[in-house]
Amino acid sequence: MSRNFHGIGAVLPSRIILWLFAVLTVIPFALLILTSLKSRADLIQGAFVLPAYPHFENYANAWIEGHFNVYFLNSVLIVFPVVIVSIILGTLMGFSFAFLSFPFRRTIFVLLTIGMMVPTEAFIIPLYYEMRYVGLINTYAALILPQIAMSLPFATMFMASAMQQLPLEVIEAAVLDGASRRYILSKVIVPLMLPSMSTLALFLFIWTWNEFLIPLVLVNDDNYRTLPIGMLFFQGRYTVNTPVLTAGAVIVIGPLILAYMLFQRKLITGLTAGATK
Amino acid sequence: MKRSPLDANASRNLIYILPGLLVYLALVLGPIIAAIGISFTEWNGIGSPNWVGFGNYAKLLSDETFYVALKNNALFMVFYCVIPIVVGLLLAALVWSLRQREQFALRTLLFLPYIMPTAVLGIIWHWLYNPAFGPINQALKLVGLGSIALPWLGDFTFVLPAVGIVASWYFFGFCMVLFLSGIQRIDPSLFEAARVDGASGSRIFFFITLPLLLPEIRIALLLTIIASIKSFDLIFTMTRGGPANATLVPNIYMYELGFQLNRYGYASAVAIIGAILVFTINYAVHRLVRPVNGGSAS
Repeated sequence: MSRNFHGIGAVLPSRIILWLFAVLTVIPFALLILTSLKSRADLIQGAFVLPAYPHFENYANAWIEGHFNVYFLNSVLIVFPVVIVSIILGTLMGFSFAFLSFPFRRTIFVLLTIGMMVPTEAFIIPLYYEMRYVGLINTYAALILPQIAMSLPFATMFMASAMQQLPLEVIEAAVLDGASRRYILSKVIVPLMLPSMSTLALFLFIWTWNEFLIPLVLVNDDNYRTLPIGMLFFQGRYTVNTPVLTAGAVIVIGPLILAYMLFQRKLITGLTAGATK
Repeated sequence: MKRSPLDANASRNLIYILPGLLVYLALVLGPIIAAIGISFTEWNGIGSPNWVGFGNYAKLLSDETFYVALKNNALFMVFYCVIPIVVGLLLAALVWSLRQREQFALRTLLFLPYIMPTAVLGIIWHWLYNPAFGPINQALKLVGLGSIALPWLGDFTFVLPAVGIVASWYFFGFCMVLFLSGIQRIDPSLFEAARVDGASGSRIFFFITLPLLLPEIRIALLLTIIASIKSFDLIFTMTRGGPANATLVPNIYMYELGFQLNRYGYASAVAIIGAILVFTINYAVHRLVRPVNGGSAS
C-alpha cells in the first residue's frame, strides 16, 4: 500500500515546511540546554556560540545554591502521594460508576463534570481560606490534598470507562465462584486494569508535576515550593545568572522529557484521545 | 442500566464512592460554592464579609480594567485557537503524505511542548525575549534586522502578540496530532476515489479532509478556547499582565484583586464570570459546531 501518493518530488516542499516547524518547536529547548552548559563569560560571546567546554557546575549551583534540591524533593514528595491516592480513590469511584447503584448517581456524575470544567482560579480564594482555617498553609498537605481532589473527576471517569469495557463474563464467572466483591475488585478487576492505571498515573504525574497555581497560592515558605514555583522565585532572585537559571529549567523539565521518551506513544495517543472524552 | 452482578444494596455500595466523594466535596465543590457566595460580598479577607448582593457584578459592568482584560482575552484567542488550529491542519495534511517513520519523528518533536509546565515555558520564553542578551534579539541582530530587535515584553504594542505566539507554539503540535488521528480515521478509499476523479491536493483537502475532520476541529476549538480563558501560568510568568495591563486577562486580574489588593469579594466575581464563560463556550461549541454526519466522535 502506498501512503505516499504525491510521489517523492511533490513531497519535498511539504517536508521542508514540516521540519521547519519541528525545528521551531525544538530550538527553545536546544538553546536552553546549550546555555545551561555555558559560563557567564561564554554567554557574552553570543547566544549561539558553543562554550569552550561544558560547565556542569551550573547544575551544581542550581541544585545547591538555587535550592533546586529542595524544590525537586518537594515535587517528588507531592507527586507520588497525589498520583497514588488519586488512583486508589479514582479506582473505587470508577468501580462504583461502572458497576454499582447508589443514591444521586446522576447528580454526583454531573457534579464531577463541573469540577472538571471549572478552572482552579475560580475557587482558589475559598480554598486558600479553607487551608488557612485548618492550619495547613505551608505544609505538604496543602499541596497534596487539593490536588488529589482536583484529579478525582478525571481519574473516576477514566477508570469507569475503562472498567465498562471489561468483558462481563470475567466478572460473572468470578461472582459464580462465590468470590467476595472486595476480592473481585482487587484480584480480578485491578490486575486487568493495570495498563489503564499506568496511563492514568502518567497523566496525573505530568499534571501534578506541572501544577503552578496551587503551590503559588497555598505555600509561601521556600522550603515547601515545588519546581515550577521555585523556578519563578529563583528567577526573581538571580535575574542575571542565566546559565544557572537555564540549568534549573533543565532540572524541572528533565523528568518530563525522560517520561516522554519512555512512554511517548502512550502519552501522545492517550492525551489526544483523552481530549476527545 | 442493566443491574451488574457486583451490585448490592446502596448502604454497602457507598463505601466505594464516599471516600473520594468526600475529598472532592471538601476541596473542590465546597470551594466552588463558597466562591459563588463570596462573590456576593465585600470582603477584605480579615473581617466578616459584607453582603452586597449583585453589587460586585454591577461594578464589573462599569469596570474599564475588566473590559481591557476581556478584550485581551479575545485577542489571545487568535493565538490560542485560530493560529494553532490553522497551522495544525496544514501540518497534519502535509505530514500525512510522509512515510510512517518520518511521521512518527515529526509527531514526537511537535508534541513536545504540550507536556511541559506552561509556567516554566513562560520563564524560558521570558529569557528568549530578553531585549539585551535574549537569543531572539541576538538572532535578529545577526541577520541584520537589529532595528526590529525590540524589548518585546516591555513594548505596549507587541507584548500581546509576543506572549500569544508562545501559546500558539505550545498548541500547534497538539492540534496537528489530534487532526492526524482524525485523518487516519477517515476511510482511505474516499481519497482514492477523489484522486481517480482527478481532484487536486487542495480540493481533496477542502472538500474531503476538512469536513470529515469537523469532530476533531470541534474538540480543538473547545480545548483551546477554554485554555485561553483559563490562561494564567504563561502570562503570569512572562508579564504578570503588564506592561500597563497590555496582557491583563481575567484570571490575572482576579489574582491581583484577591491576593494583592485583598478585595476577595470582587475578585471572586471576576473568577465566577470566568467560570461562566467556560461553561457558555463549552455549551456553544457543542451546539454550533456539529459533525456533518451527526455522529459523536467524542
